[in-house]
Amino acid sequence: MNAGILRSSRVAAIVVFAVSPWVFASAQAPDAKPAAGRQADGPKFTPGRTPDGQPDISGMWLPGGSGKPMETPSGKPWTPPPGYDPGTNSAYTFFPPTDNSRPAVRDRRPMVVNPADGKIPLQPWAAARREEIIANQEKAEYLDPRVRCLQSALPRANLPVFYNSYQILQIPGYVVVLYEWNHMSRFIPLDGRPHLSPSIRLPMGDSRGRWEGNTLVVDVTNFTDRTWVVGHGAPPEGAPASSLTTGHGVFHSEALRVVERFTLVDKDTISYEATIEDPKVFTRPWTVSFDAFLRAPADHQLFEYACHEGNGKNILLMTGVDIEK
Amino acid sequence: MRRSLVALAVATATAWLWAGAAQQAAAQGQRGALPRTADGKPDLSGIWQVVNTAHYDIEPHSAQEGVPGGLGVVEGDAIPYQPWAAEKKRENLQNRASLDPLGKCFLPGVPRVTYLPFPFQIAQTEKYIAIAYEFAHTVRIIYTDGSPHPGPLDFWMGDSRGRWEGDTLVVDTTHFNGRTWLDMAGNFHSDALRVTERYTPVEGGHVMNYEVTLEDPKVFTRPWKMSMPIYRRAEKNLQLIDYDCVDFFWQDLFRKK
Repeated sequence: MNAGILRSSRVAAIVVFAVSPWVFASAQAPDAKPAAGRQADGPKFTPGRTPDGQPDISGMWLPGGSGKPMETPSGKPWTPPPGYDPGTNSAYTFFPPTDNSRPAVRDRRPMVVNPADGKIPLQPWAAARREEIIANQEKAEYLDPRVRCLQSALPRANLPVFYNSYQILQIPGYVVVLYEWNHMSRFIPLDGRPHLSPSIRLPMGDSRGRWEGNTLVVDVTNFTDRTWVVGHGAPPEGAPASSLTTGHGVFHSEALRVVERFTLVDKDTISYEATIEDPKVFTRPWTVSFDAFLRAPADHQLFEYACHEGNGKNILLMTGVDIEK
Repeated sequence: MRRSLVALAVATATAWLWAGAAQQAAAQGQRGALPRTADGKPDLSGIWQVVNTAHYDIEPHSAQEGVPGGLGVVEGDAIPYQPWAAEKKRENLQNRASLDPLGKCFLPGVPRVTYLPFPFQIAQTEKYIAIAYEFAHTVRIIYTDGSPHPGPLDFWMGDSRGRWEGDTLVVDTTHFNGRTWLDMAGNFHSDALRVTERYTPVEGGHVMNYEVTLEDPKVFTRPWKMSMPIYRRAEKNLQLIDYDCVDFFWQDLFRKK
């Protein structure tokens, strides 16, 4: 054997061994992950496969990203007036982590990554309408549709709230996402069929999926216009919309289109990106990105979340209608 | 000479085996063979719907205005109510416009959810069978992973644990809250209800025979059964179109204000 080759392969071996502890460290220690949540610096993770050959993202998942605000406020931070009583919602204004098994993610960068300033690009009329919505939350017609137990649009359904978790199943031709909150479900067909007729509108829209390598890309159209696009945590009562970091009050028209990308970046993390377009409401498409799904403990199960059934007191308070009678 | 006889024997045997295989292949095309999942179970994934009048009234009934008549799905025709419960059923029937929990967009319970006049979609994996119902985006997750029922909790849709007995999916559902009905005619149960469903695919997987045993010692004098076929919806590219009852509830409320 040629001595020159032996020497260079020994050098190559030393380089490999020097690099690998760093590579393994970044793959195994969640705290060491870059704050955006992507395994940008680690080795590319290769997921297992389902029996029908899809990258395997199935399992039980907990909400990720609960340390992150949605947006940079469009206006000034809000200072409560003297004597302000934050009420019972104050605990949730600052996005407490929902998952006790991991160190809290204290990443304060907004989920909105595009535009780069993190501000949701509302058209002026829509920003004014948002102010009106947020200022009138005590009226049932303006109230957050989620509080009325209406289904969440997208990407809102995938935003972290402590009373939610997810289950993903995969069967030939479909990815199925089950949401614990309000028992929502999405059967995402992978067979390239066209979208529904525009005459059919759905609160969670109409999803069409395809795999691009290890990323599930889902195109969602045919939304109704009675939901909010985003909104997690809880806005302080009385704060104007321009001061919010939570995304509440961001409504949409039926022109809404959302393109989602789900990527299993390590065995316990699905990174999520959603690009939102609605030419009637926003000045341009915008994108949110964060690690939305964190692998749940092995014995986790989704429990029934009977939202409307348990909402009787709120409904009575807001409308005088007694559904318990 | 011997070599050519051996060759002939091998060729004949091979031809016979191939003929057998071809026969079997032909049999695969007949309606008798069920589609199966990778783990060998009958594959129930897809969209299904019941076609009968059980959602109005599970017992035999004549037609009324707006309600088609039906032979009934209860074996033996009559639900074996305890005397107090038979009286309660009559009360429910009389006041069904205000008392039917479905009228308030509450979750339908089991087995009522199966025979509502809406389709449902099954996603079957080895450990979980998820059923999404078009009505009120109801979801049931049937655990076929051998896990037990949970502790003292109760649910509108109960808690379902399933297992396969041959080609029949047997689902045991308990932990009901007793607030659901069995149909629009006021037939009801308590929180002690235990439902055993048996889903048996037949006709090449195009139909399931659905047999349900109901036990509730607070309401009935004995266990009793109902049965009906469930049909696989044949349309290409079918999908569930959400019947968002709660949305209609709110729109109705705002209209009246």
